[in-house]
Amino acid sequence: MLSSRRAYFLSKLVRYSFTFLLILSLNFALPRMMPGDPIVNLLGEEALHNDPRMIERLRAEHGLDRPLHIQYIGYLRSLARMDLGYSIHKNLSVAELMENSLLWTLLLVFPSVVIGSILALLFGSLAGFKNNSRTDFLLTALALLFYTCPPFLLAMLILSIFAFHLGLFPLGNLTSGGRLGLDYVLDVAWHLFLPVAALSLLGASYKFLVVRNSVTQIFDEQFIVAARAKGLTERCILLRHVIRNVLPPFISMVALSFGFMVSGALVVEIVFSLNGMGTLIYDAVVARDYPIMQGSFLVLTIFVLAANFAADMLYGVADPRIGGPH
Amino acid sequence: MEMARDFLAHSRLQLIGLFILILFLAVAIFAPLIAPHDPEESKTPYQPPNQEHRLGTNDIGQDILSELIYASRVSLTIGFLAGLISVLIGATLGMLAGYYRGIVEEMVMATGDVVLLIPGLPLMIILAAYLSPSMWNIVLVVGLLWWCSTARVVHSRVLQLREMPFVEAARALGGGDLYIIFHHILINSKEVIYAKFALAVASAMLTEASLSFLGLGDPLNISWGEMIHFAFSRGGFANDMWWWYLPPGLMICACVLGFVLIAMDPERSQKAQEL
Repeated sequence: MLSSRRAYFLSKLVRYSFTFLLILSLNFALPRMMPGDPIVNLLGEEALHNDPRMIERLRAEHGLDRPLHIQYIGYLRSLARMDLGYSIHKNLSVAELMENSLLWTLLLVFPSVVIGSILALLFGSLAGFKNNSRTDFLLTALALLFYTCPPFLLAMLILSIFAFHLGLFPLGNLTSGGRLGLDYVLDVAWHLFLPVAALSLLGASYKFLVVRNSVTQIFDEQFIVAARAKGLTERCILLRHVIRNVLPPFISMVALSFGFMVSGALVVEIVFSLNGMGTLIYDAVVARDYPIMQGSFLVLTIFVLAANFAADMLYGVADPRIGGPH
Repeated sequence: MEMARDFLAHSRLQLIGLFILILFLAVAIFAPLIAPHDPEESKTPYQPPNQEHRLGTNDIGQDILSELIYASRVSLTIGFLAGLISVLIGATLGMLAGYYRGIVEEMVMATGDVVLLIPGLPLMIILAAYLSPSMWNIVLVVGLLWWCSTARVVHSRVLQLREMPFVEAARALGGGDLYIIFHHILINSKEVIYAKFALAVASAMLTEASLSFLGLGDPLNISWGEMIHFAFSRGGFANDMWWWYLPPGLMICACVLGFVLIAMDPERSQKAQEL
């Protein structure tokens, strides 16, 4: 019994290591493969304003004149030292720039994933349970509305209505500054309320539709008929039989949605002018500051990978069939 | 009885979707006839909505309504082509993986899993930033990264089909692989593929909007997302000029909704609708 679960974990570990290596390689290949001078692709367009001798020196420093496999080893070595390159535009190392931003982005993504998932599970089960009722219709229409809304538009509307017109929340930024302790935490929570709400709704909309569909589908299954025939109440059937079957695929869907949530967070941050990865990437896009884009891509992808790995481990525990006798 | 009502309810949604899309298509095709002004022409900037300019003018004095009408061409073209590319790749790979099994299947599915894991927007930002800003590059970037879910769905459909008696019969009668794929498998998965195509266009339009919002759009072919980018970065949003950023946003919503609605089919609702 133990060995089968161990085999599951091991196979996941192998798969994720492979994916990790593939992503590192992709990150290595992109600046060298894309059109344009690789040194500009590696350093950002600002590099062109430096004098040519400096550029030659940098070219040698990055080993762009050496064979690819040597460059690749050098690339892996510098990554192992947490060296993600240097932004000439901002005059800081990329790792330093991302230190704070990443924290804020995660602070935006995690609560949104959790809140969005809970909302989706609750309302999705409700809508699926009351299939074709007025509640179902209303909830589904609402979810479709949020699903079809581009993330930045939803963020802009929420900001405009609740902060600009109603004045209930701050117009942007992460803190008001000059606060300490609990006061500081509450202040940050107040600032993050609207962005988290926007991102949660975005995440919940898609998950809601899937949960609703699977609940509706499971209600048609034979074992539900059997449970009804046994005389179980509808409530009991929903809680004990339906949710139990929805949960494992739901966990993997939540895990896969991390990538989407990170993408959404970037855009929401820009609208709310929060100093996270999104704002960093936005500035980098304007200045064509490639090292920051590359570093952000790598760090965000590794984070999404880690979240998925954790969810897969959780799945192994939540699904009793894994680790069973087979 | 209930099934009939269910069917009607669903196909009514599909009809609404179709109606929305035809409307948008008409606007895009007849843009020069409908638009009240030349979208390139500059007048007084930052005008609020008035008799002459129903939706006001933007930062360089262009009529927003006309810009909106012309932008439907760009947004629809990008969404349609990117969706087409992603579905062509996804359906081909899913078909090959499901039909031939073995090493092909493992390779395709493993690659798909990796691509699904990568957060889409950051990678697309890098690709779009390296390539020159043109709508064709956006079509490529979005299309090439959006095939995995189609591949998955087509794959599982083909897995079902290949074991069915009529496929076995065709094989027993000496039908070649190509014949069976084109005459039996493809025909029987076409509804899944159509639904996936509509959803792929919806996703592609949303992704294009985000990329354009970030300023990676084609400066010569303004899309709805790009209009919002300009409204956002040039003070339209900060000054509460809703007539500038809201209409393109609503256009995106309505158009995406149209594509999502036509993908709603009562027969196989669940699997294919995994967006």
